[in-house]
Amino acid sequence: MRSSALDKGIRTGVIFGIVIVTMFLIGFTVAGAGLVGKFFGASSSYSTPSLVYFVIFMILIGAWAGSSASTRPLVEADTFKYAATTGVSAGLISGLFAAVIGFIFGTLSANRIDPRTYLPSVSPESIRMFLFNQNALTGSLMLLVLLTASGLAGAALSFFLRNSDRVKSGARKASDSVSGIVQSQRVSSVVNNPYSRYVFLFIVAAVLIVLPRTWGGYWNYVFGTVGIYIILGLGLNIITGWAGQLVIGYVAFFAIGAYTFALLTAPEPHHLTWNFWLALGIAVLVSALAGLLIGLPILNLRGDYLAIVTLGFAEIIRILLKSDLMTPYTAGPRGIRDIAGPSLLGKSFLSDVDFMYLIILAVLVVTFLANRLQNSRTGKAWYAINLDETVARATGVNAFTSKLLALSLSAGIAGLAGVLFASRNQFTGPDDHALMVSINVICLVIVGGIGNIPGIFLGAFALKGLPEILRETESFRLLIFGVLLIVMMRLRPEGFLPAKRPELEKASAQNTLEKEAQS
Amino acid sequence: MTTCIETKKVSKIFGGLTAVNSVDLVVPEHCIASIIGPNGAGKTTLFNCISGYYVPEEGQILFYGTPIQGSPTYMVASMGIARTYQNIRLFGDMTAIENVMLGQYPRFKASWVDAVLSTSRERNEEKQAVQEGRRLLKFVGLEGLGDHLARNLPYGAQRRLEIARALANKPRLLLLDEPTAGMNPQETDKMTHFIRSLRDEVGITIVLIEHDMNVVMGISDQITVLDYGTKIAEGKPKEIQSNQRVIEAYLGPDVTSLTKKYQLRKQQRYDAQR
Repeated sequence: MRSSALDKGIRTGVIFGIVIVTMFLIGFTVAGAGLVGKFFGASSSYSTPSLVYFVIFMILIGAWAGSSASTRPLVEADTFKYAATTGVSAGLISGLFAAVIGFIFGTLSANRIDPRTYLPSVSPESIRMFLFNQNALTGSLMLLVLLTASGLAGAALSFFLRNSDRVKSGARKASDSVSGIVQSQRVSSVVNNPYSRYVFLFIVAAVLIVLPRTWGGYWNYVFGTVGIYIILGLGLNIITGWAGQLVIGYVAFFAIGAYTFALLTAPEPHHLTWNFWLALGIAVLVSALAGLLIGLPILNLRGDYLAIVTLGFAEIIRILLKSDLMTPYTAGPRGIRDIAGPSLLGKSFLSDVDFMYLIILAVLVVTFLANRLQNSRTGKAWYAINLDETVARATGVNAFTSKLLALSLSAGIAGLAGVLFASRNQFTGPDDHALMVSINVICLVIVGGIGNIPGIFLGAFALKGLPEILRETESFRLLIFGVLLIVMMRLRPEGFLPAKRPELEKASAQNTLEKEAQS
Repeated sequence: MTTCIETKKVSKIFGGLTAVNSVDLVVPEHCIASIIGPNGAGKTTLFNCISGYYVPEEGQILFYGTPIQGSPTYMVASMGIARTYQNIRLFGDMTAIENVMLGQYPRFKASWVDAVLSTSRERNEEKQAVQEGRRLLKFVGLEGLGDHLARNLPYGAQRRLEIARALANKPRLLLLDEPTAGMNPQETDKMTHFIRSLRDEVGITIVLIEHDMNVVMGISDQITVLDYGTKIAEGKPKEIQSNQRVIEAYLGPDVTSLTKKYQLRKQQRYDAQR
C-alpha cells in the first residue's frame, strides 16, 4: 500500500517541477532572481542578477512546494512525520525535474551547443546561473539537494505555524488587539468625527499635489496612463458593470473623443486651433452622441448584440482612420501631430506636472460623477436591468432609455479619456485606438471588481501601473496577466474588491432614532 | 360598481397554438378574482397580456376604461398594474429595501442630473423612498431584514417581499401568480389573510392565479375557469364547485361515471353497515 503522504508529496512535486522547468525554458528564472534582487534593493535591472538572489528564489519556490504539499491531512493525524514526508517528497520530485533539465542543458552548453536556436530565452548566462556556476552534474545535484531541503523547511515551517500553541495564541492576541483598537471608543470617535473626514481628505489632497512635483517625469507618465485608464474603467463600468450590457468596442468612443479634439486643435489638417476647453467639451459631447446613435437601433434588443455591434464599430472606426478615403480629413495612418495642450487665461500648461494635475482633476470629476450616480434612482434602475430586465420593465423602468443614457454617459467619459490621451501625447494616430485598449479596460474592470469604484482604481493600478514597476518581467507581461486572472477566478471570482450594497434601512432607522432622541 | 380591469375577446396565439382564446373577463373594483384551470390552460399568458409582456393578437384590454393592450410594460406598470411571478423573481443581488424602492420607481421624477448635483428633489425623493420602503417592509412583516440581499431571504419572506415590491408603486390592480405555491398550510393561511387584508385595508383590486382550491374557494369573490385557453365557467365559488364542465376539465371526461360509481359504492357501504 502506498502511503498517502508520499502520494500527495509526489503530486505536488510534479506540479512544481513542471513550473520550474517552464520558468527555466522561458527565462523566468533570471527575471525572478532579478525581482528578488529588487526586493533586497539591488539596482541594476537589466544586467544578470547576482547568484545569491537566484538561490533565494529557488529556496522560496522549494519552500512553497513543501508547505503547499504538507497542508493539514483530511484523514490521517497531523503529525510532523506526515508533514516532513510530504515536504521532502515534494521537494525531491520538483528537484528531480529541475536537476534533469539542468543536467541536459548543462551538458549541451558544455558541448558548445547553443539551445537558443530553438528556445530563445535559454541563454548561456541563465543556464550557468541555473547550475550555480558549476558543471552540469554538480549543479544539478546541488539543485536537487537545495529543493529537497527547502521543501522540508517549508513543510516544517507551515507545520509549526499551524500547530504551535505559541504562534496560535500570538496570532489570536494580535488579531484581538487590532480589532480591539479598531472597535475602541477612541478610534470610532475619531473615525466618526466629521472633522476627521476633512483631515483625511486634506491628506489625500496634499499627497496628490505633492507627488507629481516630486517623483519626476517618468512616473508622471506612468501614473498619467493609469489615470486615463481609471477614467476609461469608470466609464465602461456604467454600461457594463451597472447596466450589465457588455461593450467590447469601447475604444471606438475613446478614438472619437481623441480625434474630435485633435482635429479641432491641431494646425493640420484643418487649420483649426480652437480653445482647449471648448474643444474638450465638444469632443466629449460628440462621443456621447456617438454612443447615443449606436445605441438607438440596438438597445431595444436584449442579449449581447451591443457587444458585437460595438466590436464592429470600433474596427470600422480604426480602419476608416487608416484608410486613404479619410486621409484628407483625418491625416490617415500618419496620425495628427501638434495637438494642443491645456491653457487657461492665456497661459499654457504643458509640463508633465501640470498635465498630471489635469488628469487627477479629471479622475476626481469622473469618480464624483460615478459615485453620485451609483446608488441613485437611475443607478438602481441600471442595476435592476442588469439583474432581470423583464422584471425591471414590469416595475416601471423604461429599459430602453435607461440603457441609452448609460451608454452615452459611458461614451462621453471615454471621449474625455481620449482627449486627455491625445492632448498629453500631442499626437494621436489610428494605432493608439486598437482593440487591445478595449480588452485592457474590460480586464481591469473585471479584475478590480465589477461595479465597484475602488475596485476599478485597484484594477487600473494592477494592470497598467504594476507592469511598469515590475520592469524585469516586461516580456512575461501576458503570462503574468494570465496567472493573475486564473488566481483571481479561483480565489475571488467577483474581483479583488467586489461591490457591496448600501445599508439603507439601518441608516434610515438610525436617523429616526437620533431625531427622536433630539425631540 | 366601477370596473377595474376588463378583457374583451382577448386572444394570444403562439405559432399554431392558441394559448388564450377570446377570453372575456370583467373584474369589478375592490374585488378578489381568481383564475383557475389545469396546467397549460393559459392563465399566466393572460396575465402576461394584461401586464404588457405580450401583445394580444385580438381583443381589447381595458384598465378603468382605458385600452392598454400594446402599451409597453413600463407604461402599464406606471398606470398602476403591479404583478408577482409564479417562480419568484426578485432582484437577488439587491437588498430587500432596494427591491421595494425600485418598485416605487415610476412615482419619482429625479433624473441622473439631479443625482449628480444632489438637488433637493433628489434628496427628498430618496428619503421618501427609504421611508416608504421601511413602511412596506413592516407591512409585509419583514422589518429589520431590509439590508439583507433578497436572494438570502427565506422562501416565504421572498414571496412577501415580491408583494411588497408590487405594492410600492401604489397599484390599483395587483396580479398575483400563484402566491401560495410551495408554502405549508400555516404559511398558506397567513398569505390568505394577508391577501384579504390587502383588499380590505389598502383597497386594491386583486386578480390571482392559484391551484390551492382551499385558498381559491376561501377568498375569491368571483372565479374564472380556463381550459385550453378558453373560458369554460365563471361565477361565485359555490357555482364553480358544482359546475360539471369544471370538474371534467380537472378530472377528465369520464368523471361523471366515476362520480356515480363512487356514490353508488358509498351508498352500498352505508347500506351494508346498517
